Amino acid sequence: MRLRVSQICSTLPAELLARFLGEKWGEPVSITGIKRFHGGSARQTYRFDASAPSGRREALVLRRDPPSSLIETDRAAEFAALAAFHRSSVPVPEPLWCENTAFGSPGFLMREVAGGTAAGLMEPDPYGEDAAAIGTALFTALGAIHRTAPAAAGIAPVSAGDAAPARLDHWRRAFEADRFRPEPIVEAALRWLGRTQVAPAQRVSIVHGDYRSGNFLRAGSRLVAVLDWEMVHAGDPMEDLAWACDPLWSHGSGRPAATLPLADAHRVWERASGLTVDPEALLWWRMFAQVMGAVIWISAAREVIDGRSHDPVHAFAGIIPYRFHMVTLARSLSRSLSQGRGA
Amino acid sequence: MSLSLPQWLNCLAAAQAGEVAPALALAAAPDASLAATDANYAAGTAATTALLLMLAAAEASDAPVREAALAGAARPVLGPDADGRDARCAALGARLADAEHAGDAATANAVLALLLAEAEAEMMGLGLPLPVPISHGQTK
Repeated sequence: MRLRVSQICSTLPAELLARFLGEKWGEPVSITGIKRFHGGSARQTYRFDASAPSGRREALVLRRDPPSSLIETDRAAEFAALAAFHRSSVPVPEPLWCENTAFGSPGFLMREVAGGTAAGLMEPDPYGEDAAAIGTALFTALGAIHRTAPAAAGIAPVSAGDAAPARLDHWRRAFEADRFRPEPIVEAALRWLGRTQVAPAQRVSIVHGDYRSGNFLRAGSRLVAVLDWEMVHAGDPMEDLAWACDPLWSHGSGRPAATLPLADAHRVWERASGLTVDPEALLWWRMFAQVMGAVIWISAAREVIDGRSHDPVHAFAGIIPYRFHMVTLARSLSRSLSQGRGA
Repeated sequence: MSLSLPQWLNCLAAAQAGEVAPALALAAAPDASLAATDANYAAGTAATTALLLMLAAAEASDAPVREAALAGAARPVLGPDADGRDARCAALGARLADAEHAGDAATANAVLALLLAEAEAEMMGLGLPLPVPISHGQTK
């Protein structure tokens, strides 16, 4: 009998992994040490050890689709992005196999990155005396991502002029699909984004889509892996820069990702990307980042309300980050009005 | 708020029954390897549930006082539409859209101030600090 711990996810059957890896390795494989990570909402993530009679032993990670997710994402693109950056200056886990049926639900295997830790959202000062070094590495890696053309990961390109309108349209449609209560602040921000001109992208590149504190592993002052590529797409690099510098990910520090002061983070990113920060464009993308966040949190709450999820992580998202972004959005709109940019 | 308090509490009860309690039962089961599979996940779920229960207690205590204050502040602008979070927010949203359309910056500013006060009150109602801005002047 297979016991189910969760309606969201049954325990991961080791025999699925043993069968799959046995075929790949050409010898019987034993699976031990399966552990599911808590907190990921777009994928179910497990680590485990695989070993064979020949002495081969590997620590691996499975990321597979859950029945309910905050965001509908493309696992093939995530896998391809990891493959594109593996062995580059952007540290990522080594992707191994992407499968539709082998793991109980569609997913992929990658090699475990040993020794790194990720910060929790509500963890104060997560990087301590390593903050400046981590920030330098983080924004350097982001710049390197933004030197990479979407074709490197087989991602369909977008024109420079369409990058911002396409993203706005995507999240506006998500908002309209999932909203369930009056949301005057989000509506006002969407109107502001719609009527405010934003310059075409200086360059269309790979955009990570969720580049922030909490989505990378570090060991001391070293960045060891950039994770969670499930929202990767082609677009304007400013989108990632604005999201990475959103106050939600600052751990209350007032510094992007609780690392460098904003001006320093921008300088590091400019040097690494070869691009320049356009203040007007950044203003637009910072408003956009808050709207994107708000819609993700609204969608999470909708999952709970509609009974598709009883994962408290979804409830958490629909309460704390949601309220956070309502405050920052209302402040941004007020500031825009006072600067004569229209409310 | 996004999730109402009853929706929030229903989710926590379901998580407790559907995620945490079965995992605890598994942890005591003879097949220790099976228990280990999800013990880490269940512990994280239990911790998140506990955090949300504490915040729900703060919300339950704060919401009536907050509602009275926010309705009182909005009543001069909205009249009877000021009562109740959803009615008030819908009315404020309509006022703001009208003010933008008419180019009436003063009204837009006043309505945004009420919406900001509402958002800040909901954040502080959880006993959590307000967001710290990230700006070029910030070097902390």
